[in-house]
Amino acid sequence: MLRIILNKKPTFWLLLAIPALLMLRRYASGDVIAMDMLHPTGEWAARLMIFAMVLSPLVSLLGPKPWLNWLVQRRRALGVAAFAYSVLHLLFYLIDMGNLDDILAEFWALGIWTGWAAMLLFVPLAVTSNDASMRKLKVGWKQLQRLVYPAAVLVLVHWIFIHNNLVPALVHFVPLALLVAARFFLSPKPQPKGA
Amino acid sequence: MRVFIPLTLAAAAAVALVSAPASATGVIKCKAGPVSGWKTQDELTKKLTKEGWTVRKSKVDGGCYEVYGTTPEGDRVEAYFHPVTLEKLYVGRRGEVLFRKQGY
Repeated sequence: MLRIILNKKPTFWLLLAIPALLMLRRYASGDVIAMDMLHPTGEWAARLMIFAMVLSPLVSLLGPKPWLNWLVQRRRALGVAAFAYSVLHLLFYLIDMGNLDDILAEFWALGIWTGWAAMLLFVPLAVTSNDASMRKLKVGWKQLQRLVYPAAVLVLVHWIFIHNNLVPALVHFVPLALLVAARFFLSPKPQPKGA
Repeated sequence: MRVFIPLTLAAAAAVALVSAPASATGVIKCKAGPVSGWKTQDELTKKLTKEGWTVRKSKVDGGCYEVYGTTPEGDRVEAYFHPVTLEKLYVGRRGEVLFRKQGY
């Protein structure tokens, strides 16, 4: 019975929502201010994005595994959750800054515009994260979703320059970079079309 | 695309490793002696509020008091103050230094 509940997709969505619910509860209780919400929301957004991105490289490297397949079936939830956390991140940034003048004053800081640009790239990814879009866009859907790679680079730069510290960002991104690189160098090249 | 992606990630990591991030956090250091000689954050907040600042949050960073708030001129900033003298040492926002006391 427990197994059936755990394997339901809504259970997975709920699981992904738990960190947000805990954060929002702290904010609602007044323990923390909007500024304090920026780091946890951003970190979860990046984390979930990376989680969604490492699944394909892992499948390439390890071959088909039941647990990987379980996760691949839930990749859309990971990606959409990453987007949801980034929306929260942006919302709390807007609340924290409070006015347009201050937002524009720092817009061109390297740590800031990269965050905006990543957000901009996330929008079409999230909007097309449904079966109807997959059917409609056909091959183009996969190409569109590859925008996540430049978005990831922007997120990395955003994180490093906002935090003024390399370590937390690299802890998250080095495994991703290694896996993506390993997939590229180690996996067999796809056969040319029509061969 | 298959070549482009890992190369870009590798390049980004390389750039990140060699370039020194230029934001304010942890940049200012105060050698202000034992904490017993420090004024309290409350005193600093009161002083700044009187001068027209809005203080959102303050904490200790690099042995200084670090304040997030709005200046009397209306700029949203991060500022550093000496914990003994409460002297203003640094004011900046992301990507821009607005004030820095000589020697700091």
